[in-house]
Amino acid sequence: MDMIDELAGTIDEKCHVADRPDIPLVPSDDSSRKNAPTSTCLIVLGMAGSGKTTFVENLSKYLTANGAAPYIVNLDPAVRQVPYPVNIDIRDTVKYKAVMKKFGLGPNGGIMTSLNLFTTKFSGVLDLLEKRKFEVKHMIFDTPGQIEVFTWSASGSIITEALADSFPTVIVYVMDVSTSTSPITFMSNMLYACSILYKSKLPFIIALNKIDMVDPTLVMKWISDFEAFDVAVEKEESYAANLSRSLGLILDEFYGAIRTVPVSALTCQGFPKFVEAVEAATLEFNTEYKPEMDKMKADQRESRKLKSEDRFEKLKREVLEISTGPSSSRDDKSRAMDTSVSIGPQGDSNAKHEQRNFDAEESGMEETSFQRFLESAKKAKEIAKKPAA
Amino acid sequence: MRYAQLVMGPAGSGKSTYCATILNHCKDMGRSVYIINLDPAAEYFEYDVIADIRDLISLDDVTEDEELRLGPNGGLIFCLQHLVENLNWLEEKLGRCEDDYFIFDCPGQIELFTHLPVMRTLINQFESWDIRTCGVFLLDAHYMNETTKFFSGALVALSAMITLEIPHINLVTKMDLLNEEDKVAIQRFLDMDTDLLGEMTDEPWMRRHLKLSRAIAALFDDYNYVSFLPFDQTDEESINDILMTIDNSIQYGEDLEHKEIPDERDQEDERGAQGQDDD
Repeated sequence: MDMIDELAGTIDEKCHVADRPDIPLVPSDDSSRKNAPTSTCLIVLGMAGSGKTTFVENLSKYLTANGAAPYIVNLDPAVRQVPYPVNIDIRDTVKYKAVMKKFGLGPNGGIMTSLNLFTTKFSGVLDLLEKRKFEVKHMIFDTPGQIEVFTWSASGSIITEALADSFPTVIVYVMDVSTSTSPITFMSNMLYACSILYKSKLPFIIALNKIDMVDPTLVMKWISDFEAFDVAVEKEESYAANLSRSLGLILDEFYGAIRTVPVSALTCQGFPKFVEAVEAATLEFNTEYKPEMDKMKADQRESRKLKSEDRFEKLKREVLEISTGPSSSRDDKSRAMDTSVSIGPQGDSNAKHEQRNFDAEESGMEETSFQRFLESAKKAKEIAKKPAA
Repeated sequence: MRYAQLVMGPAGSGKSTYCATILNHCKDMGRSVYIINLDPAAEYFEYDVIADIRDLISLDDVTEDEELRLGPNGGLIFCLQHLVENLNWLEEKLGRCEDDYFIFDCPGQIELFTHLPVMRTLINQFESWDIRTCGVFLLDAHYMNETTKFFSGALVALSAMITLEIPHINLVTKMDLLNEEDKVAIQRFLDMDTDLLGEMTDEPWMRRHLKLSRAIAALFDDYNYVSFLPFDQTDEESINDILMTIDNSIQYGEDLEHKEIPDERDQEDERGAQGQDDD
């Protein structure tokens, strides 16, 4: 706990929307609040260079200009500057460079560990969001530049699921249309988007960005007209062209399951349609996802809780492993690694056993179960350290 | 002819562990393989490499350069682009020995495989150097233990592979670290009849996306492009299976066999000639 607290401070909120007199708000004593719509969370994902941050910046300006300033959370620990009025910034809680230095990590490890540290404090974020959920229409989450850090990590999953548990949550995948120069790279990008759909299982919007640079007509044609796309792919002399029919079928079904909006993050072209798509996605969430999730929760209360607990434990274990392995001495590191490996199976079963008897709200659960985990980890360490009899 | 594996996958998927395992496994077999590190952000690995991109260009230098103003991600991509502009450096490191077998440990950034031409350029260059390459895409088993996650993994691998146009296999790594329940679940996916895969409707989300899932499952079946092998670094059989599959895909071993026959013939001719001389 000390190590984590040392590197991850508290969650702070800045420049809250309510402090801005120009923004109209729902008054706090409004009795219609009971059935009032809550904010929609937009998790903005995209590859490096897709224009994610510019998109968040100008979407924020656009929404504000239309009377609905969004709440913005920055989840990128390594970004130099954020060009939008951020409300919760991971960089206030976790110092990426300090984390890198402390654990002797490279940039990838630094970003991942910083995000992991932040995620251990995510209940603090949820608390703040809960307070604001009637006050803002949209809560936008800007994610790390390296997309895998979010889409292929425990932290990313935990954050996504924690949000979807409490708010209508929509995935926004920003795609640079100018990189889809060939139907093959276009397919590759779309397949990647589809992988995120399967990962998140949430309403999905593709923001086809940079239409100020490249006319999106051809790409939109590829999306809406399976045959046209097929023709384009077969012209390519590649083995992917052999797969084109099968891949085309996949993509065709994919487009039917999501919404695609051509936009320009720079000029705000396409933003009105984008906001409409968000509204439709929110409706989809409330009418389809929420009832499913509620039913699943009821049906599988115990095993689902265990699964999310397991992931949280693993996340904290990952953070702990890195923190108990100083890079200074090779011996220390290998000793620490050995210790942490032995913590795994033993600590795991101990922690699991305790968890089964532990019945608490999921939001408060994280802190207490982490303490229990630490205790069992400490015990296991002591046992491991004792010389063999 | 020379041979290479291009080891790819998201950060944390176990690329370095895989490289070390194959290296040691081959050593035990009397085979030499040479590892090249192409990840500018690699932190630490326990094996020797014959080339390291960090000798060519340092990520620190790039990210600290005030003119470039690149963040860590941009910096990594810049390093790779620098590499493809200086391929003679790599050529020199690879030498020219016939039958050499290389393993390239690649960075995890998916951009390098989806729309940036970097990896494509590298592979084309390998071809011109008479190196046959197999793509090895690694995914951590912990992220593949549910149907939708498994599909997600398959799609990521596919998105990387279709732009590279080389034979490839996908590995589900860290199988030895899974708990029993997950091990069983993943083995089910790996062994499964793909018709069943598309019909897995235990989750309501899958039910709503049945047609899409079926279309993806059909790909498992028809083309093997999304075939997966389990990787358990403690299991000799697992390692053997993987190595054999890769070797087959790039026809490593076939060329070696052909070579042996002429050698034997040469020896027979020599013996024959000697015999005649003696007479």
